[in-house]
Amino acid sequence: MASLLTLQDVRVTLGASTIGPVTLRVDPGERIAILGPSGAGKSTLLRLIARELRPAAGHLSFEGRALPAWSSAELAQRRAVLPQQHGVAFGLPVELVVALGRVARPDDGQQHLIVREALMQAQAEHLQGRRFDTLSGGEQARVQLARVFAQAWDARDGLLLVDEPVAALDPGLSVSLMAAMSDFAERRGHALVAVLHDLNLALNHFDRLWLLKSGRLLADCDALPATLPLLEQLYDTRLRLLRDEHGLAILPMVAGAVGARA
Amino acid sequence: MSTVGSALPSTVAGTRAPRAWSRSTLLVIALVLTVVVAVQFGAVPIAAADWLNGPWNDAPKTGGAHVLWQLRLPRLGLTLAVGAALGLAGALSQALFRNPMAEPSLLGVTSGAAAAVALTLTVFAGVQVALPAEARLWLLPVVGFAGALAVCFSLDRLSRWLAPGSIAALLLCGLALQAMTFAVVGLCSFIANDEQLRAINFWTLGSLAGANWPMAAVMGGALLVLGTLALRVAPRLNALALGEAAAAHVGIDVERLRWQCIAMVALLSSLAVAWCGSIGFIGLMAPHLARQLVGADQRRVLPHAMLAGALLLVVADTFARTLAVPAEIPVGVFSALIGAPWFLVLLRGAVRRMGSA
Repeated sequence: MASLLTLQDVRVTLGASTIGPVTLRVDPGERIAILGPSGAGKSTLLRLIARELRPAAGHLSFEGRALPAWSSAELAQRRAVLPQQHGVAFGLPVELVVALGRVARPDDGQQHLIVREALMQAQAEHLQGRRFDTLSGGEQARVQLARVFAQAWDARDGLLLVDEPVAALDPGLSVSLMAAMSDFAERRGHALVAVLHDLNLALNHFDRLWLLKSGRLLADCDALPATLPLLEQLYDTRLRLLRDEHGLAILPMVAGAVGARA
Repeated sequence: MSTVGSALPSTVAGTRAPRAWSRSTLLVIALVLTVVVAVQFGAVPIAAADWLNGPWNDAPKTGGAHVLWQLRLPRLGLTLAVGAALGLAGALSQALFRNPMAEPSLLGVTSGAAAAVALTLTVFAGVQVALPAEARLWLLPVVGFAGALAVCFSLDRLSRWLAPGSIAALLLCGLALQAMTFAVVGLCSFIANDEQLRAINFWTLGSLAGANWPMAAVMGGALLVLGTLALRVAPRLNALALGEAAAAHVGIDVERLRWQCIAMVALLSSLAVAWCGSIGFIGLMAPHLARQLVGADQRRVLPHAMLAGALLLVVADTFARTLAVPAEIPVGVFSALIGAPWFLVLLRGAVRRMGSA
């Protein structure tokens, strides 16, 4: 199967930190979580793939074509990006922010339907009619997610890039939104590449993990319980794995707790 | 699902469109009334018969008819066009810099044009004399455009380089550029002779007293072209509100959009400055009024900022013409007297919303 996205010996420099060289690929429909401690370069790697940053060396290609050769409008039809920063200038209405996901396409009359359904899938339909700048952080995150859904609504086998999509949400919402995102990607065959902090979401919703530490790729491995030693090495901390019929959970080992029990 | 979906557009159309529509109507009615009042006000009273005694009529002109057709109406036409141009330039620069406090005169763009004009009037006065009379009308707009473009471009680069995304840094960069352009104007006034000094004064204070029909026609035509272009980029300007990176992600060619905006802002400001001098704060107040009336969607903000700009400048110019009859106060004095406190009120709002600017 031809890869959707490939990175060949790519190196990127942002300020004082350098990432790479890394060689990676994303296959169609694959779900990949980028994990690593703060400052490891996760967001930088994602921004590189999103074409926000230029590589200092190496070659990126998307659907068999060099990434720089794509026009913005063409690329927007094949991949959508949810950035970490959600700010929107001026007080744009929520529906308009979501509709901006489709700004580079001609309006085929379906737009308001898509906007509406995208808001529903992002669990933000109750925010319709509000101004974006009056929303809380978590509400803004959901509206931005709806914008990404609207952009990738009628594409197939494309790519979604999301940077900490559920960081500002409470546990219930973060789980249901992660499920909504996986479901959305799966129905349309989109590959999903996400920067995450939550190991449990990564293990339960993703196929593969890219582990980044200090700008270097520690491992590119399947999201299986067997990766536990690698994750311990990644975060420099002891972890324990819990398993029941609903899935897996990883918790940090609390210092002293083991001794106290014994 | 399908019933919910089909119910949406009608509710959106049913609740929001009429309100926005009636507010637009309100603005248009206010503008028309202001224009009617503005024509009647002035040192010379206008009689009903003067309206019929237009340029098509060979009958000898009374004083009133002359004032109406040769002075007041062309001036009103130019005022409307310049006001709309300033409003549009303000709205565009706010969208470009994603900053509700941006405005061509605050950012030094207007004074950049004024400095280039002042240089042309004094240091390069010889060039002007060498040109044929028809070309002279165009010399100042062209020179002003170059000055405005230079400032706009430097501002764009400087603010991105020094402190990207900061509202305060943008305004401070504008302040620095403005200080430089004022120094150029100051130097020009210093070396100017009496006649040149009066001309420079006219440009730095701003006045619509020199209006004639050709100016009004050219300004109106330019406005028509640039207004149409601006409305065409309006949906993409909305995307710019997401931030430049996100705008690129949804498929906008951000670099090209920035350049289109910069060129339009520079053209609009320099056309206004070249014939009327620098008139500040209209570009700040008009888009703000427009957003209050119809919300932040640029497709609606741009046309309403033009209407609001025209309205504000007609009011300011009517005061300028009539308060000290028979003398006239430069209109830039009025716009600054109203606009500067307005700016402070906006600043308070911005600081409240964001914690700090």
